[in-house]
Amino acid sequence: MGNKQPYTVLVVDDNLLNLKLIEKSLSKEGYLIFSADNGPDARSIALDKLPDLILLDIEMPGENGFDVIKKLKDDAATNSIPVIFLTGVSEVDAKLKGFDLGAVDYITKPFHPLEVLARVRIHLKLSIATNSLIQDQAAKLRQVTKAQVAMMPLPEDHPHAKFGVYYKALQEAGGDFYDILNISDKITGYFVADSSGHDIETSYMTASVKALLAQNCTPVYSPAESMKMINDVLVEILPQGKYLTACYMHINRTTLKLTIINAGHPPVVCLPVKGDPFLIKSEGDVCGMFSDAHFGIENLNVNKGDRFFIYSDGLVESAEDKITWVSGADGLLPVYETLRDVPYDRAPKEMISQLFGNNCCPEDDIVLLCIEV
Amino acid sequence: MDFKYLASKIGIDDEDFMELVELFITTTLSDLDKIKQGMAAHHPADVGAAAHSIKGAAGNMGFEAISELAKRMELQAKAGSLENFDAYILDLEAQVNQLSTN
Repeated sequence: MGNKQPYTVLVVDDNLLNLKLIEKSLSKEGYLIFSADNGPDARSIALDKLPDLILLDIEMPGENGFDVIKKLKDDAATNSIPVIFLTGVSEVDAKLKGFDLGAVDYITKPFHPLEVLARVRIHLKLSIATNSLIQDQAAKLRQVTKAQVAMMPLPEDHPHAKFGVYYKALQEAGGDFYDILNISDKITGYFVADSSGHDIETSYMTASVKALLAQNCTPVYSPAESMKMINDVLVEILPQGKYLTACYMHINRTTLKLTIINAGHPPVVCLPVKGDPFLIKSEGDVCGMFSDAHFGIENLNVNKGDRFFIYSDGLVESAEDKITWVSGADGLLPVYETLRDVPYDRAPKEMISQLFGNNCCPEDDIVLLCIEV
Repeated sequence: MDFKYLASKIGIDDEDFMELVELFITTTLSDLDKIKQGMAAHHPADVGAAAHSIKGAAGNMGFEAISELAKRMELQAKAGSLENFDAYILDLEAQVNQLSTN
């Protein structure tokens, strides 16, 4: 709704006199009126012109007002247009049904043109306020997205960590994130988490967890100790019902020892220099929910060139295909084999491209890290 | 009938009101035809729908006597009875004709 464009109102009534009366009353106040005397025409005009408001008669031959509003509300293009319906004074059931179907108000017939004008004004004002609120919130969420992406470390800034990444947040405030921790020259920590929810609160969690990782992932603590301390703080600060699934992988490139701490997260995939890819399954509680949480711990001896893939469940789950990561992770093992000759920094994007095609449209947030020892 | 008063009551100017009166006469005569056809075909539902249309339009214009008469016809027709409709129609036609000579 621009400032200089006139507000547009679609009036729908099978009675030409009523149409004309409303048209005359509203147009002299500066509104641009479209009119329809039947349901199908009304829907067609609504789609074509996207009016700012619709005045809709209920009792019409053929497709009545209820049919029209139901179809308008079922269509994403028209479902946010406020609809005021016109109904007889005694028809309580009709009024209730109209509200049930998504109308914002009703005007009883016979109507007074000045009442029509007043109700049109108030609902346009409400609509403007709502739209402005939505735009304001969307702008804030876009800022959150930028801030969240900026918090994710880039491979070129951490060459010693030898990793590649694919990160995609499905919504403005994504629930997945990762971090790289340079514990020493030869010791690196890799953290991937998926928080419950995709709201602003969730994205603020990213900053909190990053701060906790920086404080607790140091040479003096073992990976298990680091995760326990992070868990204990999160239990205190996370809102009720919020938690993380997380995987923390700790590689010492001098001793070639690797530790994985798993907190309810999908299994890490190992693609060894020699041998077939396999899953490192270890069960553990989620993070931030229980103060006495028990995490899965796996210690492995690794070789230079071995690769590890840590990812969020968006990679392996599909709600549409009813695949959970328990079965999805196994099914993807042959795909990792095809990445053997792809440089580690390009492997995540190549994997996503193989799974989702180039026009990637996953159902959930995705983070995928490929780490080479 | 005081059109000036009715025009000011519904908040539009006299010229627009006169235009609407002409439209009202046209649509009401058309609805009256539908009522007659409905009576000939013994379809009270059609008669009721046309009377409903007249009732609403007349109510919006402030023609209360016409609206009341149409309401009585609508309720009766929707209850399945077309009794006395010949008389109602004559009455309605007379009131509508009176508008055109106003």
